[in-house]
Amino acid sequence: MTIHFLPNERRINWLTRLAGGHNLFLPFKVNSSVHWVRFDKGNFDINALALKEIRAAEPIKPFLFSPRERVALFPEPLEEPAAETPALLFGVKGCDLRGLAVHKIMFQEGEFADPFYSKRLKETILIGADCPEPKDSCFCNLVGLKPYVVEGVDLVVSVIDEGWLVEVLSEKGAKLIAGEDWRPASENQIDKRNAQRQEAEAVLQRRNPKPLNPNLPQAIAEKTNDDKFWAEAAQDCVECFGCLMTCPTCFCFLLYDQAKGDKVERTRVWDACYMAMYARVGGGANPRAKFLKRFINRFHCKFMHGKNLHGFYFCSGCGRCFTACMGKIDIRNIIGRL
Amino acid sequence: MKNPYQPIPTKILNVIEETPNIRTFVLKPEQEIPFLAGQFVELTIPGFGEAPFTPSSSHFEREVLEMTIMRVGRATGALFTKKPGDLLGIRGPYGRPYPLQEFEGRDIYIVGGGVGLAPLRALLLALVHDINKYGRIFLRYGARTPKDIVYKKQLKEWEKIKKVDIELSVDSADEPWERKVGVVTCLMDEIPCDVKKSVAVVCGPPIMMKFVTKKLLDAGFPGKSIYLSMEMNMSCGLGQCGHCRLGPYFTCKDGPVLTWEQIKDIEEPFL
Repeated sequence: MTIHFLPNERRINWLTRLAGGHNLFLPFKVNSSVHWVRFDKGNFDINALALKEIRAAEPIKPFLFSPRERVALFPEPLEEPAAETPALLFGVKGCDLRGLAVHKIMFQEGEFADPFYSKRLKETILIGADCPEPKDSCFCNLVGLKPYVVEGVDLVVSVIDEGWLVEVLSEKGAKLIAGEDWRPASENQIDKRNAQRQEAEAVLQRRNPKPLNPNLPQAIAEKTNDDKFWAEAAQDCVECFGCLMTCPTCFCFLLYDQAKGDKVERTRVWDACYMAMYARVGGGANPRAKFLKRFINRFHCKFMHGKNLHGFYFCSGCGRCFTACMGKIDIRNIIGRL
Repeated sequence: MKNPYQPIPTKILNVIEETPNIRTFVLKPEQEIPFLAGQFVELTIPGFGEAPFTPSSSHFEREVLEMTIMRVGRATGALFTKKPGDLLGIRGPYGRPYPLQEFEGRDIYIVGGGVGLAPLRALLLALVHDINKYGRIFLRYGARTPKDIVYKKQLKEWEKIKKVDIELSVDSADEPWERKVGVVTCLMDEIPCDVKKSVAVVCGPPIMMKFVTKKLLDAGFPGKSIYLSMEMNMSCGLGQCGHCRLGPYFTCKDGPVLTWEQIKDIEEPFL
């Protein structure tokens, strides 16, 4: 695929043009952290654009899998929603794309594709960005990812001193850069990008030098009944569910019905498998009534079943779980000991 | 947009009182629900939410659907206030049915407990419909007391069918009872089929399934020939929401019928 160069002075023009046809969201530095912010030309500070920083505090999950959404009405069915202006997420990191890969399996590949997720994904354009400055919280290298994007998006942006290098990965992406004052990236610029990528990989390797157990799923299976190990791992957990709510790969949801006059409205909200009532059945029995069982279940889901069934960990290495953790539980310390 | 969350409006045609806390609801959905024995549906009780139930009627009967339900909680409590003419909703069918093709030519040893006879009734009706395809059919069914036995009339009818052999037990007999007294495993001391060539099908309370499975294994049934109806929190029915996780399976998608071979390595598979 081709790589193009956009000089710094033309970046705003391009973003303005992209915002013309889309709801454009970009990662912005807000106080000390990065958040997804909608592009507003009248209030836009290019210096606050955080493309080189690590992933935003929140994953891209809410753009595609709504935290709260009406999914059915009864007895009259839900009307087809009006077409929305497509969203364009500019600067998506590789770790967030792992979340997308998990959600595609869960919501699109089964017998019953989720129409809400599928529609939103179809109408969303993704522009990836390199992650040249990994932080202490990053461990994507342990779960088989790179600190840059090579697939799953339409374009990939790499920031170099004199501008942006933009690699085209799809036809949709090619259309997004048509008509601008682009020129092919020079060999020197591509070398700079590649060196930057290599350095980011080296940083991650230095921060997380010990690879995960290559037989991690088997190791977890064997450790399942070792309550002492898990009790120690979970001892600082205060069951706030912050780790699960910030996780880009978590997919659990709850359906609930509410009577609205003579109709019933069915709503889908994110759920968390740490919740005590999560697996309880109608008769009252609960296979994971004890928190420790629910804690282990999370590791089964992300590091055992995901890998065994689909070939990759249902973990992105983004580090949001322990960044959000009130008990400062670093998941690396747990999976690293297995 | 085909919306898998949208229930099909379903009218209650009749409510049959089976036991003091078990009723059979005869339902007529606005659209056909093409279920197979063993599959389940999500039943909407308007204003109270959804719950998973397995139809108990024959899957050859398409227009009307029967579900035999025990009152155990909030949703079923609300359901028990419903009467003929009231409206419910149905989504489904979901999950994997009994693999009837694999049952062909083999004896079928069925063990049920309490309201667990409901899905087994759908299976029995499917087997009886094509009875020449199968070997002998044995039903071993246990309830707490004679009052708690469901399908009393049908059991008498089924007993008359050649190739069908039925034995019943109750945990305790508080009224005249001429058959066995004891938990259902007391009917399993002699298993009258060639266990290596037969299949066993079990549905009932988890504790009963646990001990019945042990008895079947001790008798020599291979794990892959023991079919169990697993109960978990089957919520979305689509294999997406995560609630019904049982080891590597989502019971709504991969179950609810799973073999012992599939679940034997899962820690405490019976709730």
